[in-house]
Amino acid sequence: MTALTQPIALARESRATRAGPSRGLDRLFRGAAYGSAILVLLVLVGILASIIWGGWPAFAEFGPGFVTSSAWNIGTEQYGALVAIIGTLASALIALVIGVPLSIGIAIYLTQLAPGWARKPVAMTIELLAAVPSIIYGMWGLFVFAPLFAQFVQTPVSNLVEGMPIVGTLFYARVPSGVGILTAGIILAIMIVPFVASITRDMLAQIPTVLRESAFGIGCTTWEVMRHVLIPQASVSIIGAIMLGLGRALGETMAVTFVIGNANRLSASIFDPGSTIASRIANEFNEADGMQLNALMALGCILFVITFVVLILARTLTRRVKIA
Amino acid sequence: MSASPALRSQLSGRNPADESAPVRIAVKGLNFYYGQFHGLKNVDLNFHDRQVTALIGPSGCGKSTLLRTFNRIYSLYPEQRAEGQILLDGQNVLDPKIDLNELRSRIGMVFQKPTPFPMSIYDNVAFGLRLYEKLPKSELDGRVEDSLRKAALWEEVKDKLKQSGMGLSGGQQQRLCIARSVAQRPEVILFDEPTSALDPISTGRIEELIEQLRAEFTIVIVTHNMQQAARISQFTAFMYLGEVIEFGPTTKIFMNPEKRQTQDYITGRFG
Amino acid sequence: MDAMTPIPATQAGGSPVRASRVRPGRRVADRMLRIASLLATMVGAVVLGSILVMLIWKGVEGFSFALFTQPTPGPGSEGGGIANAILGSLILTVIGIAVATPVGVMAGTYLAEYGRGSRLADVIRFLNDILLSAPSILIGLFVYTLMVRPMGTYSGWAGGVALAIIATPVIVRTTEDMLRLVPGTLREAGAALGAPPSKVIMSVTWRAASAGIVTGIILALARIAGETAPLLFTALNNNSWFSPDLMGGVANLPVMIYQFALSPYGNWQGLAWAGALLITATILLLSIVARVFIRDQRAR
Repeated sequence: MTALTQPIALARESRATRAGPSRGLDRLFRGAAYGSAILVLLVLVGILASIIWGGWPAFAEFGPGFVTSSAWNIGTEQYGALVAIIGTLASALIALVIGVPLSIGIAIYLTQLAPGWARKPVAMTIELLAAVPSIIYGMWGLFVFAPLFAQFVQTPVSNLVEGMPIVGTLFYARVPSGVGILTAGIILAIMIVPFVASITRDMLAQIPTVLRESAFGIGCTTWEVMRHVLIPQASVSIIGAIMLGLGRALGETMAVTFVIGNANRLSASIFDPGSTIASRIANEFNEADGMQLNALMALGCILFVITFVVLILARTLTRRVKIA
Repeated sequence: MSASPALRSQLSGRNPADESAPVRIAVKGLNFYYGQFHGLKNVDLNFHDRQVTALIGPSGCGKSTLLRTFNRIYSLYPEQRAEGQILLDGQNVLDPKIDLNELRSRIGMVFQKPTPFPMSIYDNVAFGLRLYEKLPKSELDGRVEDSLRKAALWEEVKDKLKQSGMGLSGGQQQRLCIARSVAQRPEVILFDEPTSALDPISTGRIEELIEQLRAEFTIVIVTHNMQQAARISQFTAFMYLGEVIEFGPTTKIFMNPEKRQTQDYITGRFG
Repeated sequence: MDAMTPIPATQAGGSPVRASRVRPGRRVADRMLRIASLLATMVGAVVLGSILVMLIWKGVEGFSFALFTQPTPGPGSEGGGIANAILGSLILTVIGIAVATPVGVMAGTYLAEYGRGSRLADVIRFLNDILLSAPSILIGLFVYTLMVRPMGTYSGWAGGVALAIIATPVIVRTTEDMLRLVPGTLREAGAALGAPPSKVIMSVTWRAASAGIVTGIILALARIAGETAPLLFTALNNNSWFSPDLMGGVANLPVMIYQFALSPYGNWQGLAWAGALLITATILLLSIVARVFIRDQRAR
C-alpha cells in the first residue's frame, strides 16, 4: 500500500517546497503574550511588596497596637490606625445600607417594570453614573449635597434628638456643616449603585423566562415573583455584586476626601467628621516624612488586606461579570 | 432489503469507483481519545487519489473525529490525542516531528458553518497563499481569480473583491471557503458536513463543485445526508460507535451492504 | 406581613360584585415594590442630572479663550487658564494608554488563546480581576515606591506608569472576553490553512474581535482620564507651563481640580469648575462611544 503512494509523492515533489512562515516570529509572539500576562501578576505582587516594605517600620515600632490605637500625633510620632479603620468600615457599611436597596430597586425596575422604550435610556443613565470621575462626586458632595444635607437633615435631626439616649449621640452634629461619616457613606452609596445595579440586572435578566412566567401564571404579583422566585435564584450573584461594590467603597479616595471632614478623632455620631484609610493617605502623604510615611504605608497595607478579602469573596460569588 | 428507491435513484449514472486508483491516505490502527473517552477504535481505511470518499454514520459515530485527524486540527485542544498511523503519501501525519503548518497547507478543510475571515473577499482567498508563497501581485491576482473560478464564485464576486467576505450569502461564503482552500493547491480537501447549514439550492451548487474538484484533488466528505453521499461519492465508509463497520465503493455500500448494521442505517431503521 | 388577613375582610369592604382573590396585603406589597423601585431609579437619574446641571452651571462660567491658552495662575494672581493641565493630562493619558494597550491586549490574548485550561492563566485571570477593582490609591503608593522615591522627584513618567497600571486590567479583561466571543471554528479554519497560531491570532481572531478590543481601550481611557488619587503621589502638579521634561512634576486636570476647588481663591475655583466640566464631558462622551462600539461587536 505504502509503495503505491510513492509515485504520487514523487510527482508532487516537483512542486516548490513550501517554505513555511518563520517559526521565530511565532515563538516571539507567544513569548510576548506570556510575558505580558506575567507582568500583570508581577504588578500585583509589586503593589503588595512595596506597601509591606514601606509599612514595615511602623508595624515593627507599634506592633499589634498599631491597629488598636487611635493616636495620630505627628509631634510625638505616635501613630495608630483605629480611627481610619473605623471610618473606612463605617462609611462603607453606610454605603451598603443605602446603596444596596437602591441598586436592587433599580434592577427590578429595569428588568420587570420599565416600559420598553424607557429601558435603554434609563439603563444608560445609571451606567453613565459609573463613568463620572470620583473627584466630581467629591465636588458634588461638598458643594451641592453637603449644604442641603446640613440645612434639611443635620440641623433638624440634631435639634430633635438632642438629649435623647443613644440616638441623641448617634445622630447629633456638634457643628452641622454637612460633611462627615454619613455624608461620605451617602456619596459612596451613589457611587456603588451603578455597579451593583447593573450586575444585579444582568443576573435577573439571565433567569429563564419560563420561571418568571410560571410564577406569574399561578397568579403571583410582581412583588411575590421577585421575593420568592427571582431574588432567591440570583441571590449568590447579587451578594457577589454587593461585595464588589463594598470593595469599591472601601478603597474610594477622592470623593471621600472631599466630604468626610478629615478629622482624627473617634466620635460616636455619624454626623461628625472622621477619616478613612484612603482619605488619610491622600491628605497627608505628600507632606509626610519618616515614621509618618511608614505609618501611612502601613495603613495602605491594612486597606489592601481588607479589600483583597472582600474582592476574593466577590469574585468567588459572582461568576465573571462583564465590565461594560 | 436494500436501499430505498429514492436513494437508489441517486446512485444511477454516477462515475463508478476506481478501485485501482492509488492510495493517497492510508489509515492504520488509528485510535483516538477525548480525555478518557475512546472516540475512534482501531480504524483501518484507505482513501484513493482523485476519488470522493464519504464518511457516513449516526451522530457521534466518530466520522468528524476521523476527518479531523488527517490535518491534526484536533491538536488545538490539549485533551485530545490520536494513536496509530495516518500515511499521507507515505509520510506519517501523526509523527510528532512533522511540521504541522506545512501539513495543513497540503490538506484543505471546509467546515460545517462557513468560516469567512473578517477581511475582504480577495484577502480571504489570498490568505493561505501569502503564508507559503511569495508571489508578485499579478501572479497572486491570477491565482485568486483561478481559485474563485474553481469554486464557481468568480462571476458573482469579481466586481467586489475588496468588499468584506462576511457580507456574502451563506452559500457564497461556503464557496469562498472552498476557494480559500483550493488556492493553496492542496493534495487533499476535507469537507466536514459542508452543506448542513445551507439551503437546497446552495447545497446543489456545492455538490456540483465537489464533483468538479474531484478531477484535481482527493476528497473526503463527512455527511449525515445519505442521499448526498450517494450522489457525490465514489467510496463510502459507514461508521458506528467509533468503528468503521463497512467500507467499499458507494454503489456496493448502498445496493448490497455486507453488514447488518450498514443495511439498517441506510434503510433508515436507526440513526 | 399582613397578607394573612382572611378573605372576608375584602367583602366587608363592601365589594358586592365578586370577592377579590388577591388579598389587600398582597396588593399593598406589590404596589410598594413598584413605587420603591421607581423611586430608586429616579434617585439615580436625579443624581446624574444634578451633577450635570452643577457642572454646566458653574463650569460654563469659567470657559473662556484664556482657559485653553494660559497656564494655571499662581496663588493670589488674577486670571489664568488651565492649558498646562489640559496638555499634561493629555500626555499622561497617552503614556498610560500607550503602555497599557500592548501589555493589556497581549495578556488578554494569552488568557483567551494560549492559556486555556492552564493553572497559571486561572491565577492571572483572578489577579487581574483583583487589580481591576483594587483601590487606585494603592497603585499610587506602589509607583511612588517604585519610581518617585528612587528618582527623588515627582515625575510625568511615574504618573503615566500609574495610569497604565490602572488601564491595563480593563484592557486585559475586555480583550479576553471579546476574543472568547470569536467562534472556535474561525481559529480552526485559520489553522487548517497552515497558519501558525500567531498568524491566526493577528489576522483572524483580533480582526474578528476588533470592535470589542477597541471598546476596552476606550473604556480604559475613560477610566484613567479622571483618575486623581494615584497622580497625587506621582505626577503631582506644576503651576508653570509644561516643560517637555517628564522628569519633573506635570500639571494635570484631576490634581489641579482637587487643589483649586478647595482653595480660597475665586479665580482658582472657577478654573476648577471649568476643568471639571471639561473632563466629565470628555469621559461621558468616551463612554457613550464605547457603548456604540460594543453594540457593533455583539451584533456581529
